[in-house]
Amino acid sequence: MTGFISTLVEAWQELRINKVRILLALLGVALSVAALTSVVGVGSLAREGMKVQSERNGGRVATLSLNVSGPAMPDPVKLEKAYQGIQQRYGITTSTHASQTQAGFQFPRGVTTVNVTIVDVGYGIIHRVPLQQGSWFAADDGKRLAPAVVVSEAFYNQAGRPNLTTHPTVSIPGDQPATAVMIGVVPDSYPNMPPSAFILTEGAAMTGIKPQMSEFKMWVGEEQAGALTAAITADLQGQFPGYYAQASRMDYAAYGDPLAPVQLVVGGVAGLVLLLGAVGMLNISMVTVRYRVREIGIRRSFGATSGRIFVGVMMESVVATAVAGLAGVMLAVAVVKHPWIESRVAPGLTEYPAFPIDAALMGFGAAVLVGALAGAIPALVAVRVKVIDAIRF
Amino acid sequence: MDETGKETLVSLRSVTRSVRLPDDQQLNILRGIDLEVRSGDHTSIVGRSGCGKSTLLNLLGLLDIPTSGELEFLGQPADRLGNNARARLRGSTVGFVFQQFNLLPGRSALDNVITPLFYAKGKEFWRRREIAMDMLDRVGLAARANTLPNMLSGGEQQRVAIARALVRRPRLILADEPTGALDVETGQSVMALLDTVATETAAALVTITHDTNVAALARACYRLDSGVLSPLPVAETAGVSA
Repeated sequence: MTGFISTLVEAWQELRINKVRILLALLGVALSVAALTSVVGVGSLAREGMKVQSERNGGRVATLSLNVSGPAMPDPVKLEKAYQGIQQRYGITTSTHASQTQAGFQFPRGVTTVNVTIVDVGYGIIHRVPLQQGSWFAADDGKRLAPAVVVSEAFYNQAGRPNLTTHPTVSIPGDQPATAVMIGVVPDSYPNMPPSAFILTEGAAMTGIKPQMSEFKMWVGEEQAGALTAAITADLQGQFPGYYAQASRMDYAAYGDPLAPVQLVVGGVAGLVLLLGAVGMLNISMVTVRYRVREIGIRRSFGATSGRIFVGVMMESVVATAVAGLAGVMLAVAVVKHPWIESRVAPGLTEYPAFPIDAALMGFGAAVLVGALAGAIPALVAVRVKVIDAIRF
Repeated sequence: MDETGKETLVSLRSVTRSVRLPDDQQLNILRGIDLEVRSGDHTSIVGRSGCGKSTLLNLLGLLDIPTSGELEFLGQPADRLGNNARARLRGSTVGFVFQQFNLLPGRSALDNVITPLFYAKGKEFWRRREIAMDMLDRVGLAARANTLPNMLSGGEQQRVAIARALVRRPRLILADEPTGALDVETGQSVMALLDTVATETAAALVTITHDTNVAALARACYRLDSGVLSPLPVAETAGVSA
C-alpha cells in the first residue's frame, strides 16, 4: 500500500516540479482531445440533424408504405379493411394515411389556396413532426365537430398569429363550408414556404377536402422490417389477386445507413487528430526521458526498482493526460453545445440532443490511452538505463 | 560478525570486473580484489583516474556485479540477487555521495533529501518531511531547506548530498570523490562532517579519492593501481603520489 501511495506522491511531485514542461505537453493533449471530442460531438450532432430531417421526410426507421395498384382502382372500402386487418394481425400500433391535396382557407386578406396533408394521428410520430406552438392531434380530435388543423408558420402568419390558447378558428369555404380550429403550429421547412396545413382524415371528410393520392404507412421495428415487408406483401397480394400489391420501406435507412460514410469520415478525421496529439506527446516524453536519464540513475542508486521507475514514468504521463483529457472534453462540450454552433450544424433540429456521452468518454479514454502509450515507451527506455552510465550521463 | 564484534557488510573475494570493448578486446578493470568492509570501518581507496576506483565503488554499492569472484553483501551472494532485490537492499543499506553532488535540479534541498524516502516503507515514508528536515539540521542546512541547489554553494550542495545519502540511516556510506569539486577548506569540512555522521550512526564509510589528504583521514587505506588493490599503511598515505 505504501509503495502505491509513494509512487503516486512521487508522480505528483514530478508534475509539480516540471509544471512548465508538462503544461506545454498537456496543452497539446488537451487541444487534441478537445478537437477529437468536438469532431465526434459535431459529427454526432450533424448526424442527428440529418437523421431527424430524413425521418421528417421519409418517416422513422423503419416505415413501411403499403401500395396496391392494378388495371383498375382497388375498392377503397376493401383496401381500408385490408390495412386495418394487417395492423391487427402483425400487432402494429403506429400507422397513418397520408395524402396531399389543396384547399381554400379564409384569411383576413381573402381566401388562399393551401397545401393540405390529410393524415391520421400516427403521422406526427412517424414523421417526427416538430411543433413550434400548441400540440399535434390527439386520438379524439377526429370526433370534433369543428375539425382541428395543425398549420405551418406561414399559414399562422397569414391568419394573424392568433393566441392558440383562445382556440382560434379559420373558415374553409367550398361545397361543404366548415370552420376549423387551429391547435398547433409547425415550422416552415424552408424560407418563403407557401402556407400549408395538416388535417385528420375524419376532419377532411367532414369539410369535403378530398384526398388525391393516398398512401398508408406503418412504423415497425427495424429488426423485423425485412420479415414484415415480405409477410405483408404476401398478405396484401393474397387479398388483391390480379393487382400488384407491395409493402416497401420508405425511410432513409431502407438501403443501409446513408450517414455511415459521414460517420466514417468524421471518425477518420478524429483518429488523425488524436494521432497527431499522441505523436506530439510521445515526442515530448522521449525528449524528457533523455533529459532525465541522470535523474533516473540517481533515483535507482537510492533503491528505486526498475518496476518503480517504469510505473513512475507511466503514472506521470497517465495522471497528466487524464487531467488534460478532462479539460479537453470540457472545452469540447462548451464548443459543441454553443447555441451558435448547434444552430449551424443541425439547423433542422428544434431541440438539440445532449452532448453525446460516447464522444466525451472516447475523448477521455483516448487521452488516458495516449498517456499510457506516450508513457510506456519512455518508461521502457528509462528502465533499460544502466545505473552507472546514467549517473555519469 | 568478527572477533571485534563488527558485522561484515561487504566482502569481496578474488573479484574481477572486465568489459568487452567495441573492437572485441577485453578490458580488465579490476583484478583479484579482496576486500572486507565491516560496520564502523572508515576506509579510503586511492588511485589514479581510470584505475577502476568507481567500478569498485559500484560493486560495493550493488550497482554492478563482478565478472568473476565472490561478492557477498550482508552475507548474501550478490550474483544470486535479482535486480529488484539488489535495488531494495541498496536503498535500505547504502548511501551514495557523488563527486558532482548529483542533486536533482528544480527541487529544493529538502525535496532532494526526501527523495530516497520515497522508496522506504511505513513510518519512514509517512514521516519523510520530518526525517529529512532533521537530517538537514544535522548537516547545518535547516535554514536553507527550501533553497534550490543552484542557489547553494558547492560546499552546501555537497552537505545536502550527504544529508540525502544518510537520510535512510544506511549501514554503508560510499563516497565517490566527495571533495573533488570543492576547494581544500570546504573539502576538509565536508570530510569531517561525513566522518562525524558515519561515526555517530556506526555506519561504514568507504571513500574513493585521488586526494591523499582525504585518504589520510580514514582508518584503513588501500591503493588501487591498474585494477589491483593493495593495503597501504595509513602513516604512508600522506606520502603517496596518487
